[in-house]
Amino acid sequence: MTQRFLSHADLAALVAAHRRVIAPVRAKDDARQTDYLPIRALADAALGAALPRRSLKEFFLPPTEVLLSYRQTKEGVEIKEVPTQAQPQVILFASPCDAAALEVVDKVMDWEYRDELWFGRREATTIVGLLCSSMDSSCFCSAIGLGPDSPRGSDVLLTPVEGGYLAQVITPKGEALLAHCAAREASAAAVAQAETARQQARKKVENNAPAIPDGFAAWLEENFDHPVWRTMALRCHGCGACAGVCPTCHCFDIVDEHDSSDEGVRRRNWDSCQTAKFTLQASGHNPRQGQSERFRQRIQHKFSIYPKRFGEILCTGCGRCCRVCAGGMDLPEILGGLIALAKKGQGESGQ
Amino acid sequence: MNIYQPHLMRIVEITDETVDTRTLKLEFKAPAMAREFQFCAGQFGEYSAFGEGESTFCIASSPTRQGYIECSFKSTGKVTQALRRLGVGDTVGFRGPYGNHFPIEEMKGHSVVFIAGGIGLAPVRCAIWNVLDLRDQYKDVTIVYGARTVGDLVYKRELEEWSRRADLRLCLAVDPGGETPDWKGEVARIPTAVEKAVTTAEDTYAVICGPPIMIKFTLPVLAKLGFAAERIYTTLENRMKCGLGKCGRCNIGATYVCKDGPVFTAAEMGRMPQEF
Amino acid sequence: MKELQELAAKLLADGAVQVVLGYEEGPRGVRPAFITDPAQAGRLVFDARCVQNLATYLNPRRQHIVQLGKPAVVVKGCDARAIAGLVRERQIARESVVVIAVRCGGVLQRPEENAALSSETTAVRCAGCDAREPRLYDYILGELPPDPPVNASRAEQIAMLEKMTPAQRKGFWDEELSRCILCHACREACPMCFCVQCTAERALPQWIDPSPTLHASRAWQMMRVLHQAGRCVDCLECERACPEDIPLGLFARYISGAVEKRFGYKACDDPAAPAPLGVFSTEDGEEFIR
Repeated sequence: MTQRFLSHADLAALVAAHRRVIAPVRAKDDARQTDYLPIRALADAALGAALPRRSLKEFFLPPTEVLLSYRQTKEGVEIKEVPTQAQPQVILFASPCDAAALEVVDKVMDWEYRDELWFGRREATTIVGLLCSSMDSSCFCSAIGLGPDSPRGSDVLLTPVEGGYLAQVITPKGEALLAHCAAREASAAAVAQAETARQQARKKVENNAPAIPDGFAAWLEENFDHPVWRTMALRCHGCGACAGVCPTCHCFDIVDEHDSSDEGVRRRNWDSCQTAKFTLQASGHNPRQGQSERFRQRIQHKFSIYPKRFGEILCTGCGRCCRVCAGGMDLPEILGGLIALAKKGQGESGQ
Repeated sequence: MNIYQPHLMRIVEITDETVDTRTLKLEFKAPAMAREFQFCAGQFGEYSAFGEGESTFCIASSPTRQGYIECSFKSTGKVTQALRRLGVGDTVGFRGPYGNHFPIEEMKGHSVVFIAGGIGLAPVRCAIWNVLDLRDQYKDVTIVYGARTVGDLVYKRELEEWSRRADLRLCLAVDPGGETPDWKGEVARIPTAVEKAVTTAEDTYAVICGPPIMIKFTLPVLAKLGFAAERIYTTLENRMKCGLGKCGRCNIGATYVCKDGPVFTAAEMGRMPQEF
Repeated sequence: MKELQELAAKLLADGAVQVVLGYEEGPRGVRPAFITDPAQAGRLVFDARCVQNLATYLNPRRQHIVQLGKPAVVVKGCDARAIAGLVRERQIARESVVVIAVRCGGVLQRPEENAALSSETTAVRCAGCDAREPRLYDYILGELPPDPPVNASRAEQIAMLEKMTPAQRKGFWDEELSRCILCHACREACPMCFCVQCTAERALPQWIDPSPTLHASRAWQMMRVLHQAGRCVDCLECERACPEDIPLGLFARYISGAVEKRFGYKACDDPAAPAPLGVFSTEDGEEFIR
């Protein structure tokens, strides 16, 4: 990993040189919050502020997108394809939890059938991550095996140092991004400063939640019918707000919509296993009748099923689900309880 | 190529199997697809009624018959009602074939018992014709099929054809109370009909599809006869949207019905969490 | 709050109820609690951080809660309006729930910050509170605290919106609703949105598009607000639940104000009081029905 130094001016020039740059920006409706939005200049970006309300997911899997448009004609139906090539863009100051999530979701998007809508945008995007400084008590990235300094998913990872940033080049795409800017080799002092900053950042989150132990995914699978699931989700409203803000939740719905009697589009929309109708069959039968079953699915999918099928936990510990939950559900608390049960070796017969 | 983009199909024939069940015979509009399309018995597709949406049905015709596919469906919701409004010559979308398939190859050289109830005959029918089109590669073939009433029996023309064949044993049944005065078949529920019609599990595979309650009471009959759970094949349905493993909707525990199924053995089903 | 904890323990121990819905400390502040064991009643708290309207959990659709048994629910005077609404609209029987009302001195807009109540920190829902002394209860606890400081920001926002031209107002809402992802958290958190199948989820016919586009988000919000007219209890749980910080409470406040102006009715905690759009009488003053 080559390490370079980027001054603030270098970075500003880099931003100016690209047509589409997305970065955290102060929210208009609430100055305490930020959103990932397009910026025109580096000065528009909000630094050291809260984790953006929404993840980077929407730049690769939008809340709604057209899959195709159709037109009824006398001869039948005409389908118009949608382009899968995307506009090049740079995401600047991505939070490491958000960047890592993209690589996690890549696995399902490439499972036998390659989702060109997702990968078209992935290929067109260069991600510049930033050492996280906005952690709070809801963050638990280190419990998942990531951390505020994780390079996972970033093409370049920045760490603030005096006068600018230490830039770690992680991928060839990152190399290409920095090729045209005046980045110099980092000084030993900058490298040391960055290492200290990373250590301090890690200390702030490492005790927020217990680490996910080996065998946890298997324990969850074996304890699918454990009584603990029955009372875990009493507070949960089943609204799916958690899935909306989650960087790794990718479940979607496909619907047709008319624009007129002859024309329309087929759309893919964000959906959530937490809603009552997610698995509702036309016959009226619902395999997941109540919120307990639906919440169990959320935990099982993220911490057992996805690891079993793809070798990855479907979570990066960003904590957004905890922050938005109107019912007060807290994922680190829930995981802690399940991990304690797993460690005790309590199975079906246990309490 | 956008994996969500359907092929365009033309409806070439419509058969009303019962008052609410219809079969569509579809041909690919693109000549190359019509020539090259291949699938295996048991696989499914996503069929579009453009403007209303997609619906999941198995491919009900046999892969041994080239140039067309068939699907059968009941009009229960928005999309199936829209499909029912279409006529011969109209356009339907098709994405597929998806999922796994029946062990047509593995069953060669052995006997097969096909058991179906109601519209459950649709996924089994593709396997039946696949086997009958290669009849000499299989030993004994038995079909046990029933429905609640005579009116609910599907593929009536083919039942007629099968009943006249000497190289298979056909047992038709309707539930008590479902018979008509001129009904010549059995009056019994499927589990009872199976008990009468199937005498041995030796060297035999079972393919069974129908309402969950029918399966629930027929599996013990098969077990008593000596069928191993690994030799009993069925299909599972779940609500689906993408059909290809991405939308996260159809899983039962770690099993994705659209990728690991829809065909499962009774043994595999026994290992799944009971969330279906 | 010892009085509350002791009452809860007693009700559970006596078998009068099988679960007490109240508030407890969670990892991120106060959150709803479901106490089934009298020995756990000590978890219950009541203070200015107790913002949630627990009446939402009485929705008969929530089978996994119904299964716990007969509930007692801790309510503030404002929350009790929702219980009255559920009884009025025949969703629950009055005797199926034990109402433990607590006299409330106001709650915080941001309970996680746990500040003292002031005109800036008090929840906007407390402004104009007329339920300080609860009237719907089986048990009533606590001393009546002084009036909470008034957070006028919501009233100011409504005044500002009313001064706008329709085009300006549309611009305001287009900006806010552009963030709506149609997650329906507003509906799920609302105690009066109890329909087994929401109109928005019907496919046959499909009344509004399910995709989160601006026109669909507008249609959804307008429909929900109008379905709440005369029924909304102004608890602003919709706004609190929204993951996108859309000020849905403005709709709630506005529609309640509009109903009060036109029909002289405010959602109240008397289940027998007839709701204007739920009851017809030949003496109704409106001309359009004649």
